[in-house]
Parts: sequence; C-alpha cells; structure tokens
Amino acid sequence: MIRYLAKKLGWALFTIWAVITATFLIYNLLPEDPARVIAGPQARPADVARIRTQLGLDRPLTVRYWRYMTDLVSLRKRPPTGKEDSALHIGPVAIDLGVSYLKRKPVVALLEKALPPTLLVGILAIAIEVSIGALGGVLAAMKRHSVFDWGTVGMTLIGISAPTFLTGLILQYYMAQELRLFPLDGYGSTPMEKLHAAILPAVTLGLFGAAYYTRLVRDEMISLLKQDYIRTARAKGQREWIVVFKHALRNALVPLVTVVGLEMGTLVGGAIVTEKIFRWSGIGALSVDAIVERDGPVIMGVVILFCTVVVMANLLVDLSYALLDPRVRRR
Amino acid sequence: MRSIRTRTERALGVLAAVVALATSGCSKDGVRPPIGHARDIPPQHGGVLHTAFFVDVRSLDSATAFDTGSAAIELLIYDTLVSYDQKGHMKPLLAESVDVSPDGRHYTFTLRRGVVMQDGNELQASDVKRSLERVLDSGTPCPVPSFYDRIAGYKAFHNGKAKHLAGVRVTGDYTVVIDLAEPDATFMQKMALPITAPVCRTAGRKYNREFSPCGAGAYKLVRFEHGQVIELERNQGYWQKGKPYLDRIVWYLSMQSYTQRFKFEDGQIDYMREFNEADSMLYRSAKSWRGMGAWEPSMLTAGVFLNCQMAPFDNLHMRRAVTFAINRKQIASVRPGHVRPQYKVVPNAIIPESPGYPGQRYDYQRALEEMRLAGYPYDPKTGKGGYPHTIGYLAVLDAFSSQSAQIVQQQLARIGIHIEIQVVGYPTYLAKAGRKHTVQMGVVGWNADYPDASDFFEPILSTSAIQPENSQNAAFFSNKELDALLVKARDSQDQAARLGMYRHAEQIVADQAPWATTHSYRYFELWQPYVHGYRPNPILQQDVRNMWFDTAERKRALADNCLGPIRALSRLCRRGRAGSTIALALGSR
Repeated sequence: MIRYLAKKLGWALFTIWAVITATFLIYNLLPEDPARVIAGPQARPADVARIRTQLGLDRPLTVRYWRYMTDLVSLRKRPPTGKEDSALHIGPVAIDLGVSYLKRKPVVALLEKALPPTLLVGILAIAIEVSIGALGGVLAAMKRHSVFDWGTVGMTLIGISAPTFLTGLILQYYMAQELRLFPLDGYGSTPMEKLHAAILPAVTLGLFGAAYYTRLVRDEMISLLKQDYIRTARAKGQREWIVVFKHALRNALVPLVTVVGLEMGTLVGGAIVTEKIFRWSGIGALSVDAIVERDGPVIMGVVILFCTVVVMANLLVDLSYALLDPRVRRR
Repeated sequence: MRSIRTRTERALGVLAAVVALATSGCSKDGVRPPIGHARDIPPQHGGVLHTAFFVDVRSLDSATAFDTGSAAIELLIYDTLVSYDQKGHMKPLLAESVDVSPDGRHYTFTLRRGVVMQDGNELQASDVKRSLERVLDSGTPCPVPSFYDRIAGYKAFHNGKAKHLAGVRVTGDYTVVIDLAEPDATFMQKMALPITAPVCRTAGRKYNREFSPCGAGAYKLVRFEHGQVIELERNQGYWQKGKPYLDRIVWYLSMQSYTQRFKFEDGQIDYMREFNEADSMLYRSAKSWRGMGAWEPSMLTAGVFLNCQMAPFDNLHMRRAVTFAINRKQIASVRPGHVRPQYKVVPNAIIPESPGYPGQRYDYQRALEEMRLAGYPYDPKTGKGGYPHTIGYLAVLDAFSSQSAQIVQQQLARIGIHIEIQVVGYPTYLAKAGRKHTVQMGVVGWNADYPDASDFFEPILSTSAIQPENSQNAAFFSNKELDALLVKARDSQDQAARLGMYRHAEQIVADQAPWATTHSYRYFELWQPYVHGYRPNPILQQDVRNMWFDTAERKRALADNCLGPIRALSRLCRRGRAGSTIALALGSR
C-alpha cells in the first residue's frame, strides 16, 4: 500500500511540475506584451518599457523560469513585520506565487481570499447534485418505465441541456428580483449572509450536476438491480429499501464518486459563468479577469491551485475505491 | 482608458434584457417608475449612496491607479491641487492660487491653509513634493510617469541618479514651485490627475503596496474588496466646511449591467451609469422617466487605422477613398444615442465642432473618384474593378467592434475594397496592431488621458509615437508638418493660438487620412428623484462629490415601493429581507 501511495504521489508531483512548466511556457511565448496590458492601452512607450524592466520581463525566458521555480517553493524565512512579503509560509517552507501585475497584491493572498467563496459554493453545489442525483436516480431505477421515471429522464435532459447562464439568470430574476428570497448577487459579510448568498449560485451549479448524476445513478442502478446478489438478497427476504440502499446503491456510488472527484477540480477551477452572474468573488471570476487582462502571476497561481486540487482529488478518489469496494482492498 | 467587456458579459447582457423584457409586467413603459419625487429643498446631510461599476478596480493607490474604475473613486479620496468646475473649466482646489510664469516654465502653487489630510496632519508644501517624488520614483509602478517628463530633473530622479526631484521646490510651508525644463501647455491638466494628488504621510516617501489609500478628499476609504465593493465614509475633517453631504458611499464592483438595473429599479442602487443599450432606450423612452437623467460627454474617438507603411494604404488616395466611403451615421445607428458619428480626431467635449471645421465626411462619389486616382477604378453598376486583393482588418473581441467592422466591410465593398475581418482578444490586438508591417487596417480608439487636444495627436499620430513593437501610432503615420505643429502647440501658452494649430492638425489628418474616424461612445446616466446635486461633469467622470439625498423622500418612497409580483407579500420587505424571506417561506406553506 505504501509503495502504491508513493508511486501515486510521485506521479502527482510530476504532473504538477509538467503543468506549471507548460503554462509558464505558453504564457511567455504568446506574442502579447503583458507590460502593455498592465500599463494600459494608452501608456507611452517609455512607460511600457520601464514596467517591462520592473517586472523582469526583459530578461531571457530561462532566467525567468528559473527564478519562478526557485521562488515557488523555498526555505526562506518570514521577513520582519511591516516588510512586504508575497509568500505563504508553512513552517520552514515558503510558497511564493508572485505578485499580481494588476492588483499589486500577492497571488497567494488573492487565492486565499477567492478560495473560501468557491469552496462554499462548490461544496453546496456538490451536496445538491449528489443528493438529488442519488435519490432521483435510485427512485427512477426502482420505478422503471413509470411516469416518475419518464418524468425524471425528461427533467434530466432539460437540466443537462440548459446552459448555466440561462438557469442562473432565471433563478436570479425570479428568486431574487421578484420573490426576494435571496440576494441578487454578492458575497455578504457575515457567515449567515454568505450562506444565504451562496444558495442561488450553488443551485445553479448543482442543477446541472444533479441532472447528470441522476442519469448516471439510474443507469447504474438498473443494471445492478438485475445482478444475482440482489436477487439473493431479495430471496433472503430482506426489505426492498435495504436491498436497494444497502446492497445496490453502495456499488452504484463507485462511478458517482469518480465523477464527483473529477468535478471537484472543475468547481475549484471556477464556475466561471455562475460566478460572473452572481458577482461571486471566487477562483472562477479571478481566473477570468486574469486571463482577459493577461495577469501572468495570477494565471500561474490559479493553474497551480487547480492542478493541485485535481491531482489530489484523483488521489482521494483512488483511495476511496478501497473504502467503497472491498474487492479493491483485497487486491 | 478602454474598458474590456468580454463576449460572455455581452451575451449575458442581451439575454438578461430579453428575460427582463419578457417577464416585466411592471409598467406599460417596460421599466418601473422612479422612486419618489424631486422636491425643491435645500441641500441636506445624510444618506448612503449605492452605485456600481461593471468592471473591477485595480488599485486605489493614486500612484498606480489609472484605470477606468479607479478614477471616480480617487476623486472622492484624493483632492488634487487643481481640478475642474461643473462647466469643465480649470479651478484651484487644494491650491489657493496658481501662478504661471510668462515663459510657461515655472508654476507656483500656493496651498490653502488648514487643509487636514485624512491622517490628521495638515497639508504642507513638503507633502506635495513628497507625493510627486513617490509617484515618479523609479521603483513605483506608475503607468504614466512620462506625463511629467518635462519637470526639471525628472530624468535623473526617475532613473535613480538623483535623490530628489530638482524641479519641485518647497519655498515655504504652503508654497511649492514646479520648474519645467521646457514649457508644457498641458501641465495644468496633468496636475489635475489624481496621480499627482497629495497623499498622507503614512504613504511614506517610496511606493509600498500595503499603503491604505489616504488623501485630502471628501471621503475616507473604509473597505475595498476586489470584485465586490468599495465603501467610503464622510471625511469629518474635510476642508470644505459643510461638505460632503452623504454619510457613506457604497460602490459595488464587477456588477453586471442587468443586475445594476434590477437593483436600480428597487432603489438598492440610487444612481446608475452602465445601462446596456436596450435598457437605456427603455428608460429614455419611458413616460415616467421623461426629462430625467443626462448624457455623459464623450472623451473617446474611435475609428479605423490605415497602415501608411503597408500596401494598399501607402497610397494616399486609397486612404482617402476609405474615409469618404465610411458612412458614420450608419455605424451610429447600431446603438442609437450611445454611439455618435465622429468626424474629427479631437472629441467635441474638448474642441466643439463648428461649421467649416476640418473633418472627414461621407461622400460616395468622392470615394469612387479617389479609387480611380489610386489606380483601382471601380464601377458600382457592374461591380468590376476595385482593389484586387483582400485586405486584413483587425477587430477586437467586443460586440460593437465586430458590428462596426461588418458595417465598414459592407461600405468599403461598395467602392471595390474587400476586407477580411480578424477578431482577436484585446492583448493580442495591442500586440498585432502595434507591430510594424503586420496589420493593414483595423479598429482603433483613443480616450482622453487629460482634456487637451494634444492628447489626441501626440501619442497616436506623431512620428515619435512610432515604434517597431508596441507602436501607439498604429497607422505608422509620419508627417513632418504635423510633428512640428504639435511641438509648437505644446510649447505655446496662447490658448487661442493653440486652438488654431490643432485645427490645422485636424486638417492634415483629414487630408492625409491615417485614420478614418467613425464614432464616439457616451454613457447615459440616471438617478432616482431623491438624488440631488449631481450632473455629469464635462471632464470628470462620475464626480459625485456634491451629491446629496432627500432622505425623507427616499425613505417614504422606498416604503411605498416594495415591488414584486405578489404585491401583498411584498409589503413584507419593509421588515427587511430576512424577515420577508421567513414570512414568505411560512406564507407559502
């Protein structure tokens, strides 16, 4: 098991390094000039040149890459209070993603601020989609070929097809503007306000996932309910809900967990449209702004975070198989 | 500066407008009526202004902030030595008086006494010098230090070779003299930019990104959350006694224009500027809103650049043919009201257009004649002739840029010029348009950095603005006569003579046609009737410093305006949102 873990971790680190390097190269090889974007379209050439020098963009690519990688993870000490520091210090290790070209703030601080809103909406959205998806899928499978089943399949089709921005706008208009049950947008100040404000974006995100998961669980359950061990459980006289929820659903959760694991990365990477509609200052909004304005350090920071979360989520999914499926444990 | 709206945002805006229109049952006008009435009462204190931007604000440190959003907020936090009155005329602000030497090289600013900065210290001449040095220091990421390159000793100081800026002399506690190495007719306008505003001593002598914005302005910064909100409160120690009137200002950031409209209808936003065109038209045509709101003067000139170093626009007649073939009214008709035809380089807000003023006009027959002179005659009846190759046209990933490009494409096809539109993101646009021998023609725009005609010629049409990369002169247009004229106009202290020189410069551009000017864009601003003391300033965007509220009317009107489809239940909103949520939830059971 330790060897398996070490191998997985090694691949994870390699993947992260490869992604960082590829992103760095792509960003720096683009024909665009970040200094011009930072200075603004109306800045005079002398000012653009000076900004380029200040940011070190006039140095060779290899020098910039070496500097970025050595700054990224180092063992430097925390500077005295009052001195500018752009690194995140975890024990003796300092993680420095640089300073945003445009916001003039450490990228670590920007990510630190953007992550909680994204996680809040992401977790709520996953809770919504998994609970609706699992329950809807199971019930549809149990009542196959019934009106409920057809209705569920139809609804999931609409849910999958409806673009997030349409769902978001409709929810925003009716639930916030007309009925005033939720704030129109924003993030709020107190924990209760934040939770209240998170519901509409989470539902917007969750509805799409719920539709997808319902179909996934339904199809999985239909095939599982035909299995011999289910027939055996029924023959033993077990109640139907125990057969379905204890024996069948547990196995149906394996593909669900896989997809949820992959989805986590996407959610952290940013529910871009949803965050824009609801003015939710998460990673999605941060990354869109950074890409539009070519804010290199922020783009790099988001990619590193996104990549780390995806890699870690996959690692956790692999480990969770062992918990869900005893056959994997025995291997 | 140009604001960047993504295609997604545009799409969302259009969709929201459709949803809102389809679902609005609020009034015959399609928009909800104003909240309350305008009463004729004297200015009063109190109230909280809520308003919004669709963009985020990059920074509020006056040394580095030079983006669209920050300017309006900086006006509130920082007072400058000089500023503009409501008619757009320059006036002293923190300076009591300004004396300019006859040769235009020495500016003596005498400061008002008793101006207390937001950190509690009195403003002194040394603060002016310290603030300027902080901005122009080589380590400060100021985007436009070269605006001040005529200050004596700038080069040595900016390059780190001198400890102090020699051209800024403190001659008394309240007197500061700025010496220019060469005269600069635009220097006063540059001193009105927030970049030069005195900042608190807490800012120190050198730029530090941890500096919390602090100046001598009417409002103090309380909270700044990127992408969310900026909150300001009244500066109790403000030097203009009795001002400002509002207790607080809450400025939401990155808010979609349709959300702004929803909030405006509800009174959650009191003053709004960023309507999408559909909403703007609805409000302007609504009976209940008749006579309310105002257009903000445009400081933008947009057009088509024609690369004078590349075929076919190295041919003067081809360039002229384009300028005559473009029907600017057709372009403006795409967004009526907001987009206005523009016939000259300098916006009308800076130099008003008058009969006989040089400019470019639509003249189809002249366009055909110029095509003939260029050696590419075109017969519109048979469709034969014209320029035999397709010309690349660079447009920006922005709805209006693409639309105007298509209109230009159709108009040029009528004289035998065929263009292929390439739509790219803004950074790519900047890189490609500014590279020598790369783009034949494309969309171009320039917004005033400061309100002077020189700002519309020197940075974009002079020979000195040509660079092999990042050239701001996208037309790569070089004209010795224009260059000489611009230098002379910048050095001159005689405003009447300067106006004559810029008129001549307009004539050169109209004749030589490096740009075909097409349009300008302006915003429609609207505020609820209980908002008083505000009119768009001709120069300063969104200057809300003199705004005040009829708070009693606002309170009364909002209590009567709890809108919603379930009118009975909507009364519950008087109890606050949480109360209404619970009540609605309970009521629905």
